[in-house]
Amino acid sequence: MTENSINIVLVAALVLAALWTVMTARTLRSAIGLAITSAILAIIMFRLASPLAAVFELSVCAGLIPVIFISTIGLTARVEEESMAAKQREKLRKYAALLVLVLVVAGVLVTMHLPNDFAAPQGPVPTESPQVVMWDLRHVDLIGQIGVLAAGAFGVVILVKVSKRA
Amino acid sequence: MLDWLILVPLAAIILLNLPWSDFIRRRAAVLAALLAAAQAAMVVAAPSEWVSRASILAQTLHLHLAMTGLSRVMLLCIGLAMMAAACVTQVMFSDDFRRRANFVSLLLVSLLGMNGAVLVTDLFSLYVFIEVTSISSFVLIAFTLEKKSLEGAIKYLILSAVATVLMLGSLALLLLMAGTMDFAGIKEALASSNGALVAKLAIGGFVCGLLIKGGLVPFHGWVLGAYSASPAPASVLLAGIVTKVCGIYAMIRLATSVFPPNAAVNQVLMLLGAVSIVVGAVLALRQTDMKRLLAYSSISQVGYIVLGLGCGTPLAWAGAIFHLFNHTVFKSLLFVNSAAVERRTGTTDMSRLGQLGSAMPLTNLTSVLAALSTAGIPPLAGFWSKLLIILALWQAGVKQGQAMYFVYAAVAVLFSVVTLGYLLSLQRKVFFGKTPENLELLGAAKPSGWISTPELILAAVTLAAGLLAPLLLLTGSFLVPTGSF
Amino acid sequence: MNEMMLLLPILIPVAGALLVLLAGRSSHSARFGLTVLAAAATLAVAVLLFPQANNATGITFSHAWASPMFSFELRLYSLSAWILVAAAAFALLVTLYSWHYMAGRPHGMLFCLYLLLTLAMVCGAMLANHLVVLLFFWEGLLLTMLGMIAIGRPGAWKTAFKAFVIVGISDLCMTGGIVITGLLAHTLRISDIDHLATTGLGGLGMALLIIGATAKAGSMPFHSWIPDAATDAPLPFMALLPASIEKLVGIYFLARISLDMYQMSRESWLSMMMMVVGAVTIILAVAMALVQKNYKRLLSYHAISQVGYMILGVGTGLPAGIVGGLFHMVNNALYKSCLFMTGGAVEKQTGTSDLNELGGLGSKMPLTFLCFIVAAASISGFPLTNGFYSKELLYAGALDRGLIFYLAAVVGTFLTSASFLKLGHAAFLGKRNSRHDAVREVPFSMLLPMVLIAAVCLLFGPGNALAVDHLIRPSLSAAAAGEHHLGGLLPHNWLLAELAAGAVLLAILNHLAGWRRYGSGLHAVDHIHHAPVLSFMYDSAAKGWFDPYIIGRHIVRVVAWIGWGMDRVVDWFSDGFWVRTAQFGGWALATAHRGRYALYVLWCLAGAAAVIGFLIRAM
Repeated sequence: MTENSINIVLVAALVLAALWTVMTARTLRSAIGLAITSAILAIIMFRLASPLAAVFELSVCAGLIPVIFISTIGLTARVEEESMAAKQREKLRKYAALLVLVLVVAGVLVTMHLPNDFAAPQGPVPTESPQVVMWDLRHVDLIGQIGVLAAGAFGVVILVKVSKRA
Repeated sequence: MLDWLILVPLAAIILLNLPWSDFIRRRAAVLAALLAAAQAAMVVAAPSEWVSRASILAQTLHLHLAMTGLSRVMLLCIGLAMMAAACVTQVMFSDDFRRRANFVSLLLVSLLGMNGAVLVTDLFSLYVFIEVTSISSFVLIAFTLEKKSLEGAIKYLILSAVATVLMLGSLALLLLMAGTMDFAGIKEALASSNGALVAKLAIGGFVCGLLIKGGLVPFHGWVLGAYSASPAPASVLLAGIVTKVCGIYAMIRLATSVFPPNAAVNQVLMLLGAVSIVVGAVLALRQTDMKRLLAYSSISQVGYIVLGLGCGTPLAWAGAIFHLFNHTVFKSLLFVNSAAVERRTGTTDMSRLGQLGSAMPLTNLTSVLAALSTAGIPPLAGFWSKLLIILALWQAGVKQGQAMYFVYAAVAVLFSVVTLGYLLSLQRKVFFGKTPENLELLGAAKPSGWISTPELILAAVTLAAGLLAPLLLLTGSFLVPTGSF
Repeated sequence: MNEMMLLLPILIPVAGALLVLLAGRSSHSARFGLTVLAAAATLAVAVLLFPQANNATGITFSHAWASPMFSFELRLYSLSAWILVAAAAFALLVTLYSWHYMAGRPHGMLFCLYLLLTLAMVCGAMLANHLVVLLFFWEGLLLTMLGMIAIGRPGAWKTAFKAFVIVGISDLCMTGGIVITGLLAHTLRISDIDHLATTGLGGLGMALLIIGATAKAGSMPFHSWIPDAATDAPLPFMALLPASIEKLVGIYFLARISLDMYQMSRESWLSMMMMVVGAVTIILAVAMALVQKNYKRLLSYHAISQVGYMILGVGTGLPAGIVGGLFHMVNNALYKSCLFMTGGAVEKQTGTSDLNELGGLGSKMPLTFLCFIVAAASISGFPLTNGFYSKELLYAGALDRGLIFYLAAVVGTFLTSASFLKLGHAAFLGKRNSRHDAVREVPFSMLLPMVLIAAVCLLFGPGNALAVDHLIRPSLSAAAAGEHHLGGLLPHNWLLAELAAGAVLLAILNHLAGWRRYGSGLHAVDHIHHAPVLSFMYDSAAKGWFDPYIIGRHIVRVVAWIGWGMDRVVDWFSDGFWVRTAQFGGWALATAHRGRYALYVLWCLAGAAAVIGFLIRAM
């Protein structure tokens, strides 16, 4: 029972942190919020017995990325307080509807009596460690992901190149 | 050597971005156009034993590629659309060749991604190549760094992120169930899953992700901003082929040969397809900007393809794939025409345009052909594909005795008329009609060969496809997706 | 060789027409000279062909055409041979007459063109041995008639259109009849259609053909264009078409229909229908003629009335009636064209045909007056004129079929005589209008035709045996022609002859009484005009209430208004309703697409939830 309640608390905290990240007016606070959200996610991953994923999550998403964001934000100019507050109120007003929507959807889903038997027919589960799985069995996927990263980096470079000329 | 379809664009990208290759950079667009044309020609004319030669990628990276009938059609479409986009690039960025070379690099990344997507045989690689294509699309849209371009790119990015989440989640579940990612293994695992909730979630999630990528209602929010705010060659590419490959090809591939045949999925596809047809057409009627109108028209036409896909019979699939091919051709043609208009007048706002027919006769003619083909007027190609879809719907309705099929068929026919309506209205407003006062014709009076050539080629293809369609359908080898998977 | 000559009566006038067209702006004399030459050549060919053709088989010309059903067939045999000669002769005479008449009037070239084409069409219609060929020439006549009326007075095109519509409708009926006949007989070659039954479909077919034939000849109810044409069209047109040629063609075809093509027995309803139509036409038309104040209009009503006699005669089915009808056809052509020519002469010399303004021309235009007297006497049935003998045969036939028909014929004679007395008195006797003091006689080219025709009228009187026994009776079948000689100087039935003469005498007395009472020849029959019931009918007729064409136009107007209303409704539905719906739908959707991407994400998520939920439930 306590296991379940801890999980519920963690998930609720995750959602609230994510909401705060998106709703807050200042970008600096958003970057910090990103770090906090990722940290909570890492804790959940630890609890789900995937230490490797949790370590990656913590180091990259809660560490490296927020650092890059914060240092970039530090290079930009500050925005005025009043317009910031106005923007904050604006955002709150817009997203108030979201809460209502979430409650409605949740209600609908509950009343739909969806099956909740999440037992999956498991295929052949590899017994090796995740590293072996990633490097030997699924290296196609790994190379694919690297390819995606490379494409993304290439695209950003081109955008940046353009802005230099412009 | 199917690898070449992936490796050659990669080599070209590298070549273009080496430090001292200004000579090549000047001719980047030409290079890309030739590459795409070579791809189209190869697809049509390649001997089969060349296709099945041993592959480097398979040996080194264990990335298995295979060319099926459907892949052939898609490669031809990709080649045609890319060629059109490259030709338009040549004229659009005529002042700064380096910038143009950068744009062409992005086009080549997109080409790489699309070729890979239609050739791979496992699901994760499919996802990877779809992502590569999407990333290049983001940057292509935002290339000019204007506010509305950035906005369009961000919208696409965000919605694409939603799609990514759905697709990755489903991929994880499928890996769990099947232990492998290739099509055959997943097909087996799903077939033996006996309706487990996890399997349903996986299929549903993946399909939703693909629907977002394909731009169907209600997942279409990004389409308008992306198509209309992007520079002209990017619109040609996006509307012509990117949406098709990322969303529709994947759905066709999965629905016909991976996921088990399922009435519920078919119903969902048919309903969303019909709704897309209606919403796209109704919204297109009101538009006053050429590119926005064509964007909504794309949503409508993709609806036809998905409607055919959802019908489930081989005839319907054949119609859907044929319509996919036709849509590539005539939508690219229409966007090339809008690029020509934009180059000539500096705007695509129809309330400010008028009577360009005499100044741009070739564009006028090809625009009429494309409009008639989109609307499904015989003897152009669009007529045949729409006819197949409607006939298949009718047959299925008769066989299964359900009235919904007839309703869908009626919707398809009725909105063909509406399609004709708004396209002819576009034609009238832009090419005929009265000349408004403050319209100045910029630029060279002589039409650029770089725009005329793709216009001619695409128009010829749609006309030829229409005239030869009965022959193609009889031989059928081009279109039937079942068989050589 | 002879077969090819059958083509000539058609080709010669057409060649002449083409030459006239090509000649273009040549002089009046050149044009008319060419026309006279063409008409004379046609007459010569007809005369040349006559001896060989004057037997039962005749000469045939046949050439394959579109399909085995449609071949180009011409045939000249006993019945059509002499009618062809008559038609060509009339055409020549009218052409000669119009040489001087049309001098100084516009559209000379068109007049010659249409005249020659009309002659070609008429010859073609007479010669045709195939129903489709006949139809072709028949319709050609319609077109040339349209053209000829339209070149008359300014504003004549309205009359031309009216004539076109009326005769066109009757031609449609005839087409229907031809189709039915073809179906029943399994062939379209006229000489092969032999005595079809008149029951059921056959009766309908025959009735439709009769409508076509009689309408062409000008019987009621297809008559209302003729009086209008009389005032609007050029006069030689009147002398040619309604007076002579159309009668010849129409009654010839009527005879073919009822004698050869269909087996019309005396008891059938068709015979009764023809007789009734004939009788009604006689009475009504001559009643209208009585009160006319225009020379040409008066003559045109008589033309209509005389057709009634012919239809009545052919409709009796008796030899006397049939022969009488055909003889009357010839006679009518003779004296009617002569009368029209005198009318034309008067109009040419005085410039008017209004009887109120004419008078006392007898001394100024003696020869014209003489021709008029001969022709008027003929039409009235004065003893010893050709009209008397043809009417005698008609009375005999009509009386045999029914007393009422006989009475109609006699009353018709009475009224005819009365109206011609009035006409002659008003135009040629009485006080002369001072304006016309300088009037002279018409030139030779106009006199010659009139005199010739008047002479033939007199010839066919005592010499009617020539026509009746040697021309008409041999050309009919034995059943139609009867056994006795029907001609001869002395009448066969003295009672009927005396009654006929009595009718004429009564008319003279009536005229004299009226003259004394009203003081002028013109108003001598006013007491008939203003009789109680008759005056109402005359007034209504003048307003056009009895004109089927005008009634038809009113009906068409109502139908068009209804159709317009229905079209409005459909229009609103297709133009208004759908467009509004589409616009509303578009506006509704467009307000939802304002560009807020958060909304779009919400749609995606909601859509995904719906789809996944549905799939979980339904898969």
